[in-house]
Amino acid sequence: SLCRALLSPPDLSWISRAQVNQPAVLRRAEQVQARQAVKKAWQAAWLLKAVTFIDLTTLSGDDTSSNVQRLCYKAKYPIREDLLKALNMHDKGITTAAVCVYPARVCDAVKALKAAGCDIPVASGETRGYGRCHPNPHGIGWEHLQKEIRQFRKASGDARVKTILATGELGSLTNVYKASLVAMMAGSDFIKTSTGKETVNATLPVAIVMLRAIRDFFWKTGTKVGFKPAGGIRTAKDALVWLSLVKEELGDEWLTPELFRIGASSLLSDIERQIYHHVTGRYAAYHDLPMS
Amino acid sequence: MAATRVEPRAREIFSTLEYGPVPESHACALAWLDTHDRLLGHYVNGKWQKPEHRNAASCQDPVTGENLATFLQAQEKDVGAAVQAARTAFESWSQLPGTTRAQYLTRLAKMIQKHLRLLWTLESLFTGRAVREIRDGDIPLAQQLLQYHAIQAHIQEEALADWEPMGVVGLILPPTFSFMDMMWRVCPALAVGCTVVALVPPSSPTPLLLAQLAGELSPFPGILNVLSGPTSLAPALVSWPGVQKVVFCGAVEEGRALRRSLAGKGATLGLALGTESLLLLTDSADVDSAVEGVVDAAWSDRSPGGLRLLIQESVWDEAVRRLQGRMGRLRSGRGLDGAVDMGTRGAAAHDLAQCYVREAQSQGGEVFQAGDIPSNNPFFPPTLISGLPPAAPCFQAEVPWPVVVAFPFRTAKEALALANGTPRGGSASVWSERLGQALELGYRLLAGTVWINAHGLQDPAVPIGGCKESGSSWHGGPDGLYEYLRPLGTPPQPPYFCESLNYDTFGLAVPSTLPAELEIGSSPEPPYGLFVGGRFQAPGARSSRPIQDSSGNLHGYVAEGGAKDIRGAVEAAHQAAPGWAVQSPASRASLLWALAAALERRTPALVSRLERQGAELKAARAEVELSVRRLRKWGAQVQAQGHTPQVAGLKGPVLRLREPLGVLAIVCPNEWPLLAFVSLLAPALAHGNAVVLVPSETCPLLALEVCQDMASLCPAGLVNVVTGDRDHLTRCLALHQDIQALWYFGSAQGSQFVEWASAGNLKPVWVNGGSLRAWDQQTEGAGPELGLRAARTKALWVPMGD
Repeated sequence: SLCRALLSPPDLSWISRAQVNQPAVLRRAEQVQARQAVKKAWQAAWLLKAVTFIDLTTLSGDDTSSNVQRLCYKAKYPIREDLLKALNMHDKGITTAAVCVYPARVCDAVKALKAAGCDIPVASGETRGYGRCHPNPHGIGWEHLQKEIRQFRKASGDARVKTILATGELGSLTNVYKASLVAMMAGSDFIKTSTGKETVNATLPVAIVMLRAIRDFFWKTGTKVGFKPAGGIRTAKDALVWLSLVKEELGDEWLTPELFRIGASSLLSDIERQIYHHVTGRYAAYHDLPMS
Repeated sequence: MAATRVEPRAREIFSTLEYGPVPESHACALAWLDTHDRLLGHYVNGKWQKPEHRNAASCQDPVTGENLATFLQAQEKDVGAAVQAARTAFESWSQLPGTTRAQYLTRLAKMIQKHLRLLWTLESLFTGRAVREIRDGDIPLAQQLLQYHAIQAHIQEEALADWEPMGVVGLILPPTFSFMDMMWRVCPALAVGCTVVALVPPSSPTPLLLAQLAGELSPFPGILNVLSGPTSLAPALVSWPGVQKVVFCGAVEEGRALRRSLAGKGATLGLALGTESLLLLTDSADVDSAVEGVVDAAWSDRSPGGLRLLIQESVWDEAVRRLQGRMGRLRSGRGLDGAVDMGTRGAAAHDLAQCYVREAQSQGGEVFQAGDIPSNNPFFPPTLISGLPPAAPCFQAEVPWPVVVAFPFRTAKEALALANGTPRGGSASVWSERLGQALELGYRLLAGTVWINAHGLQDPAVPIGGCKESGSSWHGGPDGLYEYLRPLGTPPQPPYFCESLNYDTFGLAVPSTLPAELEIGSSPEPPYGLFVGGRFQAPGARSSRPIQDSSGNLHGYVAEGGAKDIRGAVEAAHQAAPGWAVQSPASRASLLWALAAALERRTPALVSRLERQGAELKAARAEVELSVRRLRKWGAQVQAQGHTPQVAGLKGPVLRLREPLGVLAIVCPNEWPLLAFVSLLAPALAHGNAVVLVPSETCPLLALEVCQDMASLCPAGLVNVVTGDRDHLTRCLALHQDIQALWYFGSAQGSQFVEWASAGNLKPVWVNGGSLRAWDQQTEGAGPELGLRAARTKALWVPMGD
């Protein structure tokens, strides 16, 4: 997959033609949100699926090896064993998709995961070849932006490149669409909304536009690019909305950890609480479930 | 730890990630039906009525076929009792201060708040529509409607001081309606002080439930009465005295039949017909969002009908690919499942769609169907038809739910021609990111509502209506209120129905005129002929009719106009209409003022003619003077048109445009030969219409006198004056399919004929029913009513955001 997008020359006319109507996208986002797509067994199964998409994240200044260790253990055992058994899902090997920590804590995380005997990947800013591009295309032009991302692409070799779009700073949804296209044309394997550390993060309208860009890119080039929303996804209900959004806009093929990730920290515990309720018929107290 | 419940299916769903059912419990709906022993009668005067010996219609769940309830069908005497109850209630309800009515409407909104689940499950259970749309769309809108109209009632004494409620309103609803159709009409009627008798199909309990909720609140229980029964009871409804207005929404042909059967019955008829919508997708649009617009417009339970989809050629492939992809993800199923996008509309709607699709296929259309649809009968898959040749009968026919018929177009101009080339004029949306293009299309589409880059938005403050065969009644906003008001002090119109009137022969032949004695004219005669296309022309029949003065002497000869002259006059008016419609208000005003000045200069001649018709000098002078004032008044009022309603939840303006009707035909009364002529002409011109006028039959010379000035001042064809036999000319005008509106001030029989004949192209008509009008009074001669009737409203939604 490394060579494909690099070979194709940038199709800037496509980018300049792109049009996104913001009020219409906002209405679509409202409609998606108003839906209660799944209930009961379906809800439980969808939530367990959502767990496998989570990049379990801690990016706090006060992270130490002890809480990173706890996080890794939670990544390996995201849902209480007896609950999984009740759902007959204990042998599915459900873990989160990855663990995200600050570069300084990567060693702790790898050590902890090794101790737990699992191969959950650890992601971090520099070690895995992440790069932050110039977030402002206004001053430098789309062509320049593409070149910049392409250099990251080359520098990362065989590693997968994830491009974060500072969607809050792009100014308009049309720019979000264009930036997504540029990032994909330059060879990104994943595009991601701005992180939880920024003021504007994963909003549904932005996601709709990015997903449509991913689909258009797939139609045009045959390449599937992944999508990762992050920041602000805290409840099980949110997670269900995101899953159904990806299902609606891109289809079932994208509902795999290779193409869809959710960056979150507190989401997992809410999902576990919902599963608890589904299995037992009762709402859990905080002490009923292990913390991460 | 609590006992666990084992779920065997989770494993399977985990790998397929399919959607599951989200069943909405409808136990409360069934419980409510049980309190009535599953037998629903009528809700009249605050009480449930279950008269004996009535036909019973049983109603089934559209999906399971299970018997839900039995409805008693009303008979004529039940209708009579309901009208009587509404009349009694009207006497006190209309006299209440608006603030009290406002409180009552607010209380009704709160009452609905307490029974939300009952309302939405009952409605979904019986109609089969997706409960999600009813719960998240209809019910909140119903509450907003009550609140909006409560505010309108509160300020009624100030804002609508010159108006009074009409009386009892008859509301007739078709079998395939949602209870929102009722709310849109009941709220304004109650707000302004009218009372309502609603005739609903014997398959919808929601209106009965609403009437019950309303009845329990009010000290005047008769304000909202609901009967179950067939549409055929409509003539019985208006035959009871007191019913001043009948409102109908439903199919075009039913509306036409109703228009004919109510001719002459005295009640005003408001029609809202057809369900088809239109979507115009240009090459600069956000295609993905437009595809969602198509879903809103045809493949969701938000939309009432099918969609005509015009796609610009250059984006045809892209748009169709996206549409087909989107269709595959639509889910259809039982309406009470909260996860479905489309429910069912019952067997009748299914058969209608099936029939249309088969026909389209046989006429060369390509049919694409997709979606997750249960295979059993009441469900119909979302359908996209393309490649239909323009000559195919399906091309002109109304597109039923849930069918979308797509056509390509090359330029915006061609799109307009295609879009405006149907007899329908309901709602449309334009998808374009180019502001200039979007506005151009939005302004020039002949439709009641146009959304730019959106489809199907609604708000209580924004009027909804249509033009052409979609009917000319309005609901929502100020226009919705005027539907139930009449100018203060004007008496209700008595019925003028004449059983013996023969529609086939009325005005068919012109009685031949004998040559009379010599003319004895003191003043110079106006030029002889019909004033058509800006000049005086000889009539097609080449004959004349004598005009007598008040003492029976010959006053002069005028041309005898006929069918061909009317045809010519309408053609001339159509040529002048587009140019006049785009004139700025200022230039329209200056023309009217110039006409006023010309009239003033002609005062001596006009006064002497009026005197010969028997007017006293003083009265004659006053009539001319008032006519001059009227022209000036309407000229000055041209500026004040349209406004921008504020809409909750929408960023961006909604423009309430007042657009010209097109060619307006006016038959003037015999009395006030100058003043009535001017009073009718001035508002018509001020609002941008081209006019074909039939002046006073007995005294047309004054109008012809004025035409001499119009020949030099007005653009050719803007005003056309055809003299002759009134009945004959009225027949020609009323049966003309290309006249957009007709005002008639003549005999009772003529009024009845005009109403009957207007069913042809469903043009809005205004008739006097044979009664006289005080043209010299402000209210009747120059009141706001004339301005309202001289133009039609269009709501143009312009959402903004980047």
